[in-house]
Amino acid sequence: MTGLARLRRIFERVLEIWVVFLVSALTVIVVLAVIWRKAGASFVWYDEVGSIMLAWITYYGAALAALKRAHIGFDGLLLALPWRWRVVVAILGEIVVFAFFIVLAWTGMMVLEVLQGMTLISLPGVPVQFTQSVIPIGAALFILCEALSLPEYWHRLREGISADVAEVSEQMHAQEAGPT
Amino acid sequence: MTIFLMLIGLVVLVLANVPIAVALGAIAAIAIVATQGVYMLPNVALTMYGGAQSFPLLAIPMFILAGAIMNSSSISRRLMDFATALVGFIRGGLAHVNIVQSMFFAEISGSAVADVAALGPIIMPAMMRRGYSRAFTAAITSSSASLAIIIPPSIPMILYGVMSGSSIVKLFVAGIVPGLLGGFAMMAISYYLALKHDWPVEDQFSARRVWFTFKETGWTLIMPTIILGAIFGGIVTATEGAGIAVVAALVIGGLIYRDLDRAQFTRAAIDGAVQTAVVMLLIATSALLGIYLTEAQVPQRLAAEILEFTDNRYGVLAILNAFFLVLGCFLHSAAAIILVVPVVMPLVHAVGIDPVHFGIIVTLNLAIGQQTPPVASVLIATCSIAKADIWEVTKVNVWFIGVLLAVLLLVTYVPIIPMSLVHLFYG
Repeated sequence: MTGLARLRRIFERVLEIWVVFLVSALTVIVVLAVIWRKAGASFVWYDEVGSIMLAWITYYGAALAALKRAHIGFDGLLLALPWRWRVVVAILGEIVVFAFFIVLAWTGMMVLEVLQGMTLISLPGVPVQFTQSVIPIGAALFILCEALSLPEYWHRLREGISADVAEVSEQMHAQEAGPT
Repeated sequence: MTIFLMLIGLVVLVLANVPIAVALGAIAAIAIVATQGVYMLPNVALTMYGGAQSFPLLAIPMFILAGAIMNSSSISRRLMDFATALVGFIRGGLAHVNIVQSMFFAEISGSAVADVAALGPIIMPAMMRRGYSRAFTAAITSSSASLAIIIPPSIPMILYGVMSGSSIVKLFVAGIVPGLLGGFAMMAISYYLALKHDWPVEDQFSARRVWFTFKETGWTLIMPTIILGAIFGGIVTATEGAGIAVVAALVIGGLIYRDLDRAQFTRAAIDGAVQTAVVMLLIATSALLGIYLTEAQVPQRLAAEILEFTDNRYGVLAILNAFFLVLGCFLHSAAAIILVVPVVMPLVHAVGIDPVHFGIIVTLNLAIGQQTPPVASVLIATCSIAKADIWEVTKVNVWFIGVLLAVLLLVTYVPIIPMSLVHLFYG
């Protein structure tokens, strides 16, 4: 395993642990909220915190999806191009992805400065800066994940393997590990 | 002109394999800067945060997680045993088993690709061993898996509900009859083909065997029914029901069947988070595009243009059906809903189409889209598992695409088919 591949694996593991925690926490919150509501004592913070957690799962999960190259795209035309054109178009596509998330990280930082001093409505002890930090952090993570997954993407491009086929073989591999 | 340039830019980026979510965001950001100035750029971050914060969409990670946990346990084998006991005695037994287990699994999972990944690796080799052609095996597995997005719960219906502002619960209820209709029609076609090709029956029908396999599978069938019943009855919301479904899946897999371990739960949670994030990022960037489209009044202008051509409800439905069918060949179902539904809703309201009825029409169109190449997520997944050629499978799959088309036409022009249960339950 090369140094880059090892770094990618460690990074993937850390992100996976974090999103598993977020999803598990969200499930616990939703279930507790049902029980409390049925007991006649709804959580006042449920809607606000639930929505924030969804945004966090979105951006941390999106970075993980970038690492796995799992975002919805269409690679049919790209894979049909001759190798030289395939490389040129793929590089231009990657530049667009990096540029977009650099802009998002930068504007996310600008927004954080503006939000200084504001707190959540239902939980006045929690600063909005903390909840919205997911945008610049998520965007930076996305950039890092996109970069770390470039070698794998390059390999797929060279072999002409579509994302759908790669996803199914990964799912099959995961299923083989467990009972069916 | 700006809209035209944006559309061209979007198509170019998507064809260059830029993820659709990023392509949408990049084009929208450029349009905002070009038309409203660079000082509006912080809106990108604000809107992308707000766009990912939709409370009703909390149901999506929960339902995906519940389905993924169920996938990790021995449910696929149990469902196949029960379906075999139930319908294996009919000519072409395993084809019917395939459809029936897909219908049962649809009650647990809201995603057709998840259906194929869970059921395909077991049923397809079994069918091929019993003499069914590779192409037919893949075709029936692929098409019946698309019932997962018609029979509740359904991820595309949750998305449609949020994007159109209609009731997710009513959409779920409206999907029941068309889903069952599609399943039974697929069984009828399979029966006809089985007679033609002399495909075998499985074991003789035995009520004892049905009862035995039901006891083995029972929790998997009963628990989702109870949860869906609670959602339909208004006892819990769709999001709450989805949360309870996760707990139920954990109890069934971990405590009752005892074949779900921590590693499998972790894998399921990761799958759930990644799939959710993929859809939610699309929603967030489409919110960005929404700023521009709303400013330019694009949905209203589109509605006016089409209404000038025809204001007949069925004419408009025919245009929208044709549009969604073509779109389904080139766009993933989640992307199609997120991109198109907000744009066409003013038109749908203007000609008096019930948004719930339209939601089922959209879902059926996208179920067909999952089967029509070149972009056919479920068909491609199935062919990859079956190691079958997509175009060979499509030649056989035409039968089942025909079934889905027939159901689509029925649902479109006989609204009582999807809406009967909605009227019955909710007046």
